[in-house]
Amino acid sequence: MLVRPAASRSRWKRLKKNGGYYLMLLPALSLLIAFKYLPMWGIQIAFRDFNIFEGISSGKWIGFAQFERLFQSEEFYQILANTCIISVYKILFLFPLGVFIALVLNEIQSSFLKRFTQTLVYIPHFLSWVVIFGLFTSLLSSNGLLNRLAVALGGEAVSYMVSPAWFRTILVVTAGWKECGWNAIVFIAAIAGIEQEMYEAARIDGAGRLRQIWSITIPSILPTILLMLILRIGSLLTAGTEQILTMYSPVVYDVADVIGTYIYRVGLGKMEYSFTTAVGLFESAVGFGLVVAGNYLSRKFADSSIW
Amino acid sequence: MKKPGKMKRTPQDWAVDIVAYSLAVLMILVTAVPLMNVLSKAFSSETALVANQITAYPIGFQLATMKYVLQSDLFLRSFGNSIFVTLLGSALNLAVTLLAAYPLSKRTLLFQKPLLILFVFTMWFNGGMIPTYLVIKQFKMVNSFLALILPGAIGVYNLLIVKNYFESLPDALEESARVDGAGIFTTFFRVVLPLSKPVIATILLFVAVSFWNDYFSPMIYITRTNLKTLPVYLRDMIVESQTDVTRSALDDQNLIPEGIRSATIVASTLPILIVYPFLQKHFVKGVLIGAVKG
Repeated sequence: MLVRPAASRSRWKRLKKNGGYYLMLLPALSLLIAFKYLPMWGIQIAFRDFNIFEGISSGKWIGFAQFERLFQSEEFYQILANTCIISVYKILFLFPLGVFIALVLNEIQSSFLKRFTQTLVYIPHFLSWVVIFGLFTSLLSSNGLLNRLAVALGGEAVSYMVSPAWFRTILVVTAGWKECGWNAIVFIAAIAGIEQEMYEAARIDGAGRLRQIWSITIPSILPTILLMLILRIGSLLTAGTEQILTMYSPVVYDVADVIGTYIYRVGLGKMEYSFTTAVGLFESAVGFGLVVAGNYLSRKFADSSIW
Repeated sequence: MKKPGKMKRTPQDWAVDIVAYSLAVLMILVTAVPLMNVLSKAFSSETALVANQITAYPIGFQLATMKYVLQSDLFLRSFGNSIFVTLLGSALNLAVTLLAAYPLSKRTLLFQKPLLILFVFTMWFNGGMIPTYLVIKQFKMVNSFLALILPGAIGVYNLLIVKNYFESLPDALEESARVDGAGIFTTFFRVVLPLSKPVIATILLFVAVSFWNDYFSPMIYITRTNLKTLPVYLRDMIVESQTDVTRSALDDQNLIPEGIRSATIVASTLPILIVYPFLQKHFVKGVLIGAVKG
């Protein structure tokens, strides 16, 4: 915003003339302040001796006591490890899958089949976790389709949903089922933006289709891939709270309790408000740091920034 | 990729085709089988369910289970609650988002940048679950639909999609309206909004789906049974026969609930599957506008 000398009067004029614009922002701003910024102001209870009956800013300041408790509790390292493991699994297996789906769809020359596949694989994105939980509970139950198939092939039935050994796999698989097709959209668009002349030139030079994928398609969409990967890593500590809350049960807490679900159980369940606000602040702060670092990296390597 | 012109197809071309087509079929199967499985269970006869025969098509087709579900009081009440929250929430969200996106798309507007940052910052940093809960509790919104509607009425991601879309509209149209003496609001309602149908359709789909699917907020803020929304009702129903390991042995006796559960899942997904085809053609474009940086 340029500020010219002696501009204060014309600035006031501009504000008045544009009053309608600010009026239009008012509802959104009120909601933003009430439901986003007031909670941020409420973070102070992590540093206070908070009492639910006295209000957010009334407890005595206690400094970093909650954080000391946090970093000394073994439970915290367990949930932190769970969070990172589940998140890393998801990135490691599902992120490349989105790119792969885009590459495969791009090789399909029947536009009917291509469109049909796309339309179908986007659908799970619009289903709720509860519905997906229902679908897979039914599919994976002891007499569900998968176990029947396994038994028919001479294997053994497994109670996947309540098996600590399988639960993380189930989380990754269901997350993949829900989002991989949808995640491919942005790569499909990036591929559509590649100049066709490059492929023609490559063909004249005798490059086969695999060579074209490897030497033209992938390098062309690499900036998009990097940008999406960086964005994805920014949400490392949100391993899918809503998904896990929907799907887990006490039997699998040991392997599936993540930061978000822990805050829910201990914070709302046991009313440990101050302590779990500290846990939440830890999560938000690390997330924010990752986003800032990711943006720096993406500016440096992908030559694009997310803001 | 375009067809390789008149060039002769090499063995590699055939190989790539075969692999790509098989993978496409695999994707279709992997996506469709879980859906078909539950759909089939919802419409298959008791005997077929008890005999555990259902794969991806109904056996002994019947509508009784679905009829039973659609007449059950608890289902109807939670379905009605979800419809109410979704309609009101989507309308409010759409109004708030469109109104706010317009001024934010005016780069010359005084304080445009700091205001935009105020919005975008909440995407990267938030107060967290507990402070948000306490604020909503302080507003006396626990056990009220307001707790489901108001916090969800502002979505910064959608706001950026709309803002970017408004920026992509040609300035000339708005300018000529302004020259004709139209004020800010007239220009917005008469010129800008009619040009924005694709982006409105896109975010309407996103917003409606997120209200309809929301499990987290009703779980936290709603405890009264008569205020429960569909996802909470559905999850209670799924878990009831599933919680312990030991009960998996009892699954054989639970086969009829299995049919009812499946029918409930199908019925609660129906509204999404009905609107999806109509809005589907818009959203790819919408997602891409959003992918351009804010």
